[in-house]
Parts: sequence; structure tokens; C-alpha cells
Amino acid sequence: MPDKPIPEQDPITSKSYAGYYLVATVLLVATLFWALWDEAWGQRPWKAFQDEWRDRYTAFLNTERSKSAKSQTAIEQDPQYVALKQAYTQAYLAAKPQAEETRKKLDDASARLLAAQSVFTDRRAYVNALTYEYETTSSASAKASKKKEIDQYKQKKATVEYPDGTRQAYDFDELEKTYNDIRAEKTKLSLELGVVLKPATDAHAKMDEYVSDHMVDLTPAQIDGLKKKAADWDAKIVQINVAEANIVDRCESCHMNTREPLKITEAAMMLKGEKKPDEYAAAFTSHPRPELLQIHDPEKFGCSPCHQGNGRATTSIEKAHGNYEHWLWPLFPKENVQAGCQNCHAADMVLVSGDVQYQTINDGKDLFRQKGCMGCHRYEGYDREPEELNSITQQIKQIEKQKIDNLKQASYLMKEADAAETNDEANTLNTQAVDLKVANSKLDGRLQQLDFQSHSLMQDMKKVGPNLKDIRLKLNKNWIPVWLKKPTDFRPTTKMPNFRLTDHQIEAISAFIWQDALTDPLPQHKPGNAAHGKELFETRGCLACHSIGEGDQMQGGTFAANLSRVGEKANYDYLVRWIHNARERTRPYCPYEKKDIGPEDYAKKGLPYQFDLEHSRCPNDGHELQVQNMTVMPSLRLTEGDAEDIATYLMTQKKKDPSSYPSASYMDDPSLKEEGKKWVRFYGCAGCHEIAGFEDEGRIGTELTFEGSKPIERLDFALFTEVAQRGGKDAEPIKDKEDLARLPDGPATEPWYNHKGFFEHKLAEPNVYDQGMVKGDTEKLRMPNLHLTKDQVLDLTTFLMGSEETSLPESYQYKPGDARHDIQAGWWVIKKYNCMGCHQFIPGQRTILMGLKQYQDAQDQLPPKLLTEGARVDPEWLRRFLSNPALSTTDTNRDGVRPYLKVRMPTFSFSDNELRILVRFFQALSQQPMPYIPQEVPTLTAKETDMARSLFSSTAAPCLKCHATGDPNHDKIATAPNFLLAKERLKPDWVERWITDPQAVSPGTSMPSGLFKQQNGQWVFAGPTPPTFNGFEGDHRKLLVDYIFQLTPEEQRRVAAAMPHARAAIESHHAAIGGSR
Amino acid sequence: MTTKKPGKGDIMNQKTTWAMIAIGVLALCAFLVLSACNKKEEPASSPMAEQQAAQPAATPIDPATVATINGTVKFDGTAPKPAKIDMSQDPGCKGPNEAENLVVDKGDLANVFVYVKDGLGDRSFDVPKDAVVLEQHGCRYHPHVLGVMAGQTVDIKNADPTTHNIHPTPKDNREWNESQPPSSPDIEKSFAREEIMLPVKCNQHPWMKMYINVVKSPFYAVTDKDGKYEIKGLPPGDYTLAFVQEKLGEQDQKVTVAAKESKTVDETFKPAAD
Repeated sequence: MPDKPIPEQDPITSKSYAGYYLVATVLLVATLFWALWDEAWGQRPWKAFQDEWRDRYTAFLNTERSKSAKSQTAIEQDPQYVALKQAYTQAYLAAKPQAEETRKKLDDASARLLAAQSVFTDRRAYVNALTYEYETTSSASAKASKKKEIDQYKQKKATVEYPDGTRQAYDFDELEKTYNDIRAEKTKLSLELGVVLKPATDAHAKMDEYVSDHMVDLTPAQIDGLKKKAADWDAKIVQINVAEANIVDRCESCHMNTREPLKITEAAMMLKGEKKPDEYAAAFTSHPRPELLQIHDPEKFGCSPCHQGNGRATTSIEKAHGNYEHWLWPLFPKENVQAGCQNCHAADMVLVSGDVQYQTINDGKDLFRQKGCMGCHRYEGYDREPEELNSITQQIKQIEKQKIDNLKQASYLMKEADAAETNDEANTLNTQAVDLKVANSKLDGRLQQLDFQSHSLMQDMKKVGPNLKDIRLKLNKNWIPVWLKKPTDFRPTTKMPNFRLTDHQIEAISAFIWQDALTDPLPQHKPGNAAHGKELFETRGCLACHSIGEGDQMQGGTFAANLSRVGEKANYDYLVRWIHNARERTRPYCPYEKKDIGPEDYAKKGLPYQFDLEHSRCPNDGHELQVQNMTVMPSLRLTEGDAEDIATYLMTQKKKDPSSYPSASYMDDPSLKEEGKKWVRFYGCAGCHEIAGFEDEGRIGTELTFEGSKPIERLDFALFTEVAQRGGKDAEPIKDKEDLARLPDGPATEPWYNHKGFFEHKLAEPNVYDQGMVKGDTEKLRMPNLHLTKDQVLDLTTFLMGSEETSLPESYQYKPGDARHDIQAGWWVIKKYNCMGCHQFIPGQRTILMGLKQYQDAQDQLPPKLLTEGARVDPEWLRRFLSNPALSTTDTNRDGVRPYLKVRMPTFSFSDNELRILVRFFQALSQQPMPYIPQEVPTLTAKETDMARSLFSSTAAPCLKCHATGDPNHDKIATAPNFLLAKERLKPDWVERWITDPQAVSPGTSMPSGLFKQQNGQWVFAGPTPPTFNGFEGDHRKLLVDYIFQLTPEEQRRVAAAMPHARAAIESHHAAIGGSR
Repeated sequence: MTTKKPGKGDIMNQKTTWAMIAIGVLALCAFLVLSACNKKEEPASSPMAEQQAAQPAATPIDPATVATINGTVKFDGTAPKPAKIDMSQDPGCKGPNEAENLVVDKGDLANVFVYVKDGLGDRSFDVPKDAVVLEQHGCRYHPHVLGVMAGQTVDIKNADPTTHNIHPTPKDNREWNESQPPSSPDIEKSFAREEIMLPVKCNQHPWMKMYINVVKSPFYAVTDKDGKYEIKGLPPGDYTLAFVQEKLGEQDQKVTVAAKESKTVDETFKPAAD
């Protein structure tokens, strides 16, 4: 290295960089500090949450603990607990002397054992050591000497000094025996002690059990456990990881209390003095529906499959909740949270857990169906009947082909067999041919079933709107254009949406449907009695579906039309036919020929013009016909006279005279017809209505099955894209007041550029995205205004938000193969016919009728609750009842089971398919196995029959006072079914439960509880028993039920005749009714 | 390392030392800050405890100041003759019976439930230990209108030789329906929530109907056959007094009572509109 002179101003030696170093160091240290901070907290905001959680939760637990301790003390004062405690004390005291003695002996034995043990183990160790040496020594002499040594050692005596001071010397063998003896004695004594104390320990266990059974909240000990857990908590990420479903959810890193076994509200987690819950309080609530977590174990389901959001993110609340641009599945907002159910339950109509109905999503599903959305929009699972019919048609074709192939193959094989060389070979071939023939006869059976099914499905297919082929028979012609202008102006609650039609379009459409409709003659009816019609209308159950009166005056259900102004639009004769049997069709329709078959077609074949469910083949070609109106309106089995009365009453329901509608003569103008047809097609009218020539019309709307997962940029916000992203003062595009009122959260001020915002605006004002655009008539958005309420928009938005393509594996989808499948299949039918308008299926569910004025003081006039129907009735009986609720082919103008009810169980003309589904539904809902094998009911002896009869008719159990007997005079005041139905209708085990506590089966029923009490393991009658019961030790309840099941009409008549004053009762009943009015 | 070149290096050394010290101090600070941060903060304030004090004790009323309200309830109109009830359907039902939905005698209206509806603020009252008795006798209820405090026991007796069932159909309480055969033990029940004119019926004797009124205060009364009622022990104050009749509905009056005052408050019902 060349020696260079050091320059004068050597930057290394002469200039100090300390200043720079200092600055750099400060920066570095600051960076380090920041990095450390960021590492420890910046990136880990959940740590702050967990710290905060520990404090708040501990404080909460402290208050909970004192409450819990208080309620434990309260429970300990229950007489039952006191009794248990007494029992314990008694048992303890009883056992005490013996226990003490035994314990003394035990203590003595233990002490002696200890004394012997110390000597013995010592010596045994020495013996063992010597034995080891003996075993490992190889030479024989050494072995001998060792053996001797052992023996000598064993001979040597050792002294044991017992605790009582005695001393005793033993050689080794004696010592071993003594030791073992004492040990055996000790074991025996401790067993003895256990036996002596058993009653006391059992009694104590019962005390503990009583406390834990009667504590509504956690016990203090359980709360202490939770407190300890909180105190010992180390900050860490809490994560659910399910590889199978690609779920990584770290939500519980902040939401620490989600799965805690207490109910923890925001208010409980708030800091003292704060007015509103802060973000911590909001985060630390327990899951509001813990029962949901029980059926969806978070260890399997995580959080995000239901709630969405970015389960992996832990760096900020926005990221974790997925509320940022780059995350496609943001957390469902609270009000739409049930959208998450759709992920796995898209195909299920009713979501219930326990008694809790998930109303938002259930209503969303219901609205989608009821408002006829699927008339324009395909949605997987909402076209069950037509899709199934399609698949059956395909199957039939396949099977027919298979049959032909089989026959061909069989004849080929037989030919081969005839020419075979050996008998064996011929026999084999012949057997194969025979097998094929058998296979064909099996296929015939299958074909027959498919045929039945397609017959059923034709019957099951319904339309949301009325059949427009009938409008010439049904409607006031001049009313039609007025209606089309804006249906809600005429009937605010109608399902028919507003299509924003121009006057010219209205003229054309009216003209087309008028000229397109059938003109068959209708039978004429004389006018009926309006007052009687009104009474029938109000009592037969019409109001479970229909409503009458407008605004505040409205009474009844929203399932079907409001009939307040029906007198302005309807034709009386048609109305009578409709009320008498709404399914009666003007002409049958043949889907094969695509035409309405008329009398001329039948005449050609020389057949009578008769078409109904039994005569449903086309006279021309034998194909299955649509022989019913495609409406869900059932028949109430009214006489023609009653139908006339109701129709007469309904015709009085009007605001103005039908003749005051301006004449619409243009509807007969043939030149308008073609244009009208164009608009009918354009607006997709056939989605909801039957229209001649449009029976096979496709849908005009977009499919919505996966609408919720459509990328946001494919939702057309049109001119409002930017404003929706920006939010602010002008963010709300809807101007119309009525439409604005439909928005669940009111006019937008925040950005609404998301699925929720799009759906809500679209549903509130379907043409909102046309605003500001220049479009021709055929380019405009076609979706009509469904005039939804706020709640309905929320329900439907939730439904659509949940309609996503799921990333979860197939096994996560709710597709049960067991009874739960039957339940969901059943709900589809239950909802279709609005069974819930009259009947209660789920505890707490309100029916429409329950809300009506006329039932407030007459609850016993309500239709029966069906909470345990499957457990109550024989499924085969149920099938018969559902297909004919009159239970009679001749006496049909009544209810079969409860003739005393004014409200009528209608005949729905269920297809075999639907009957099967419904019967299975009820069985499954009550957890009954299928098929049902009836329980044997023993035949009573003459003596038992006498006893049962005397109880059955005793003053204390006056069964026939309320139950119908078939005697018309008595039945007028009856409020319960005839016992003669029991044998075929009821399940004996259910009847036993029923008569024990009817209020537990059907809350509010007229049948009282407390008839029986339990005594010595038997159910005995609670009131005074007839003298015949003296000395009887059997089960009274069982006896009575067996008697009811063997009751004959003669027996019942005899018993009823013995009851006094049957006739007088009726008079007094009338007097009472008259008096209370 | 060798220290060959002293001189200027000394200066640097000096500065370096300072820098080192500075760094050291900084590092120390950083360490201190870090460790300080690590230390758990004392909980500044404890989360709001759910202030659920046990049932507040009854508010004391000074017995020296209490007032009394009494009066007569009249019916202004002609009352229809009460319908006779024929009870011959059940031989166990004896004696005369007539509808009790509107009991008027010379213009005096019986069976009106009168209670202090408003004005007691959040005072609370001890629930009497004694039970209120409801008797079934001659297949009618005695009394026809009953007042009871929430939580107070109703003791139901059956003095008839026939079976009754007691079936209240409340709006805000739990519904039940129990059978009571002749000469069986009393049924004891209580209602937890306030409810006026809670209907009770017997399904086996359709004419049997009565009303229980469940209130939170002891300030209630039922008019007797002369239409008279009396409410005692009321602390002075402004109240709303409600008169409720099963068919004619509710009528309210504002009342101010001074200490020790005995005030008469009459009320008149008109026939129902229908």
C-alpha cells in the first residue's frame, strides 16, 4: 500500500459527522420505535380490543356473579330445595353413628397399615435385591449361597410397632401376610363407609342437581370459571380454520364474547356514563341468536359463510368487515343479515329454529313467489311444478325407448336360444330374455307412476294472476282500461303492478285480451240474499285470504284480492260460479295441441262434454288436459244458494255504479288486436296470467338466482353511477314521494353504490335508472312498479343480496335426505295455499283469523292449531281428510271433524303428489316415523268397560257435555269433535298426552288441564272417582283412552241418552248468547 | 484495533462519545416508552354495571295525610232487562241466574272497576299476602268483576256439585285452562302483569263469564249493586281515575285530592252506541 500523505483536510479525520449520525440515529431509532409500535399495535388493533374486553367483561361478570349468587340463595329457599336439604340432613344423621364407627376403624386400619408398610417395604426391597442377584448369578454354587442368604434373611424377625404401642415381631412371610391382611381390611372398610354414606351422598347430589336445574342463569361457580378465563387471557388472534371449506375467520379476535354462554348486550358492555355504545361495546355482544350457533357449529361453519366480510383481515375494522373497494363480499348490514341464510338454504321456504321464524328472509322468499316475480325472472327452485313436469316428460320418453330396446333384445335372445347348440346355453339365453320381459313390466309400473305424477303436476301448476281467457265472462268491459291505467288507484293492495302504460298501449292491450278471450255461455243465476251472504263471507273463512274494506277499515288477509270494489268490475253469474268452485274451467286446455278444447271436439268423438279431474284426457289425442282453473282458490263446499248469497253480497261492494265507467268501444276494434298482442308479449303478461296463444311464453326478465353475486359493474346504475359512489346531498335519484317512502332507510345521503343500494332503488322505483335517458317505448325498462312497502323492499333486497353463487362445498348446502326434507317440501305447499292464514303450525305464529274482530271473544271458533298434528292423527286418515275435509261424499256442506265450527276447512283438490307431501310434512314436523304402524289398543273387559263408562259420563269428567255426539240438537252446542272419529283418526299415545295436559298441546283450547294427576307412577283421575273404582290400582288415563278407542255409536248413544236435559241445554245456550250480545 | 493517530481523533472521540450518549439516552427513552406502553393501563372506569336493584321496596305513604275517593256510578239510559239464563243443561247448576253484563238497579251501575290509572308515578306497593277469593256457586262467578294486585294470589273455589273449568283468556298474561271437579281443592293462581278486564270463562257452561282486573296499586274498587265504590289510603296528588265497564268500555276522570280529603267522584255511563 503506497504511503500517501494524509491530506490536511482529511474528511475522515478532520470533519465530524457526529451531527449527521445523530440525526440519522434519531431517525433510525424513531423508525425502529415506530416499527416496533406498528408491529405490536398498529397492525394489531385487536390487541386494544382484547385489553378493553378483559376490563369490561370482568366488570360485567362481577355484577352477574352477585346476581347469580342471589338467585342461588333464592333457589335454596324453595320448599323443594329445603326438603331436599332436609332429606340430606336426615340421611346424614341416620348414617352418622355407623359412619363414624366405620371411619374410626378405617383410620385405625390405615395407621396399622402405615406401621406395617414401613417395615415391610424396607424388607421387601432387600429381598427383591437379593433375588435379583440370585437370578443374575451364573454359577450354581453362588446361586445356592444366595438362595441360602435369602432364606436366612426371610427367617429373620422384624418388629412392627403399632400406633397403639403394641409391638410384634414377624418373619418375612408373616409380615407379608399381615400387611396384605390389613390392606384388605382397609379396602373393605372404605367400601363399607361408602355404602353407609350412600343415602347421604345421593341426597347431596340431588341438592346440587336441583340448583343447576332451576338456575335460569349460570351458577356462581360457572361465572367464576369465566372470570378466571378472562383474567388469564393472553392477547392472541382467535381463529377458526376450516380447510375443507376454505374458511379462515379471525372475527373472534375482536368479537370476544360471541360464543360466551351468557346473554351480553351492547348496554351491558358500555362504559359507565356513556350515552351511546362505542365500537367496543358493539363488538363485545354475545351472538344474538345463540340457538343458531348450536345448529351451525362455528368450528365447522365459521362466521363469514353467513355474515360475509373478510374473515382473514385483522388490520382494521373496515378491512375485516370487507367494506372496501377490493373486497367483493362486504359484511351484510344488520337489517339484511338474514341474506346469509340463502347461501345454504336457498331452496327452503320457511326458516325456523325452535320457535323463532327468520321473518325477513322468509317474507322475502314469500314475496318473490306471491308477487309473481318468478313470472318474469327465473329463480332456481321457484318453478318446481313446471320443471318437474318437464323432467317427467323426459323420463317417460326415455323409459318408452328403453322398453322398445328391451323387447328387441329379448326377441334376439330368444332367437339365439332356439338355435343354441346346448340346452344349457339355450336356458341361459331364455332366462335373460325372461329377465328383460320382467324388467319391462317393472318399467310399466314406473311409467304408470310417472303418468299419475304428470296428472298431479298439471293439477299443481298455478298462476299468480287470473285467467284472462275468461275476462269476457267475468268482467265489466269498460272497467278494464281504467284498471290497466293504474291498478293501485282501483285497489291499493292489489298484486297487479303498475306498468306505466300509455293510453294508446292500454287501448291496444285491452282490445287484444278482450278479443282473444272465450265467449262461451254462462249459466244464469237468480239474485241471492246479501245479508246472509255477508254473514257467510265473514264466518266461512274467506277473510283468511281475502280482505274487505279499505285503509283503516281493512279486515282480513293479504294473500288474495281485496274485495271492497268487486261490484264495479265483476259479472254476477261468473262470480257465483267462481265462489261455488273456483277451479271450474270454461274450457279445458290441451298443452299438446296448444288449444282450448271445446264441446265441438268432444262431439266429433261422440263424447259428452265433460272434463274434470277424473275426465282429464283430450278427446282428440288422449293427452292430459288442464281441466282446472290454475288458481289456488279452493272450494268451500258451499251450496249453490250460499254461493249466490255471497256473490250477491260482494256485488254490493262498490264505490260507484259499474255503468258509470266510460264506454270503451275501441276494445272491439280488430285493428288494435295485433298491436295489443305485441305489448302483451313485450310486458310479459303471460308470466302471471293465462292468455290464449301465450301458454308457452318464455320469461322476459333476467335470471335472479345469483343476482347477489353479480359484479357491481354489471348492475346498471345508468346516469347515477357517480352520484351513488359519491353520496352527499344529491345522492337520491328518486323524486316521486310514494316511491321515496318505499326506501327502507329513507332518501340516500351516504354512498349507495353497492348491491343493497341498487336493489332497494330498483324495487322502490323500477324505472329509476331510466331517469334522464332518451329512450323509445320498446327500449324503456319494463319492470313494473310493485308498489311495495318499506318492509317488503327490505325483505326482497335481503333475499336478492343473499342470492349468491356459493363457494362453500356441496356438503354445506342444506339438502337433508331425512324427515327435514319432508318438512321443507311441505312448507312449499303450505305457503302455496296459505294454510297459515287459518292454522298455527309453529308456536307463536299468528294466523290471519286470530287477528279478526269476530274471533276476539270466540277463540274456540278458530280453526284448530296444528302444532302436533303429525303426532295426533293417523297419516292415512289425514290423507283422506285432506282430500275430502267433509269426510263424506253426500253430506258435504260441513266440516267433517268439527261440524260446530262456522269456519270451513276447504277442499283444495290437492293432487296425489301434494297429499303425499302434506302427510309426510305433518309426520316429519312432529317427528313421527313413516310409514305409521298403528298401536294396538287392548279390548277392555266388561268390568273395565263399566268403570271407564262411569268415569266418561261422571259429573267430574262430563266428556259428552262438550264433545259432539251426532245428535243434531246436542251438536249445536258442542265445541269438540265426536269421539267416534277417534279410532280411525287419532294415535292413542297422543290422546293420552292430550287428556293429561291439553294446554301444553294446543294452548288456549277449550279442553281443560288438570283432569289427571300422577300417583304411584300411574295417572289417576284428579276429581272424585265413581264408586266402581274402589280398589282399582290401574292407570285411569289409559283406561279412559282405551274406552274411547273402542266406543261404538250404540254405546255413545246410550251414554248420551243418560245425560239429562240435552234439549234444554240448547235453549239455555241460545239465551246466553242472546244475553251477551 | 490500534490507536495510532491521536490529535483530531480525540475531538471526534469526544463527539462520538456525546453521540453515543445521545443514542443511548434515546434508546433508553424508547425502551422506557415501549415498556411503559406494555404496562397495562389501569381501567379508567368500569363498564356500566347493569343497575338492576332488586324489587324496589314499597314507597312509604304517610298515613296521616291519606285521602279517600268515593262515589257512585250511574247508567244514563234504560238498561235492557237482563237475559234469564236457563241452566237446565246441567242438573248441577241450581238457582236463578241471569246475564250480568250490565247490572243496573235504579240507575246505579254495578260491576264497574274503578282504579287509579295514572298519577302514582313510579311508586311501588307491597303485594298483599292475603288471597282474593273467586267462588263458583250456582254456576256463576262471585264476584263477577274482581280486582287483584299483580302477583297477588287468586284463590278459586268450586262450591257446585258439577265440574267447572277456569279459563282466563288474557292479552298480556299467560293463558291457562284448568278443570275443577266438585269438592276438589282450591286452585291458586296469580297474574304477573297489569291487565284490565281480563276475561275468564268456563267452557262447559257457556254463560259463565267474569273479569279479573290486575293492577299494580292497591287503589282500586268495584262498584256494588248500588253503584258505590270507595278507594282509601290514597296519598294526596293529581290522578287519573278510570272507570271500566265490560261492555261500555273505559271512561277517565282527572282528580286532585288534598291531604286527608274525602272526595266524591261520580261517573255516568251512557248506553253503548250500537
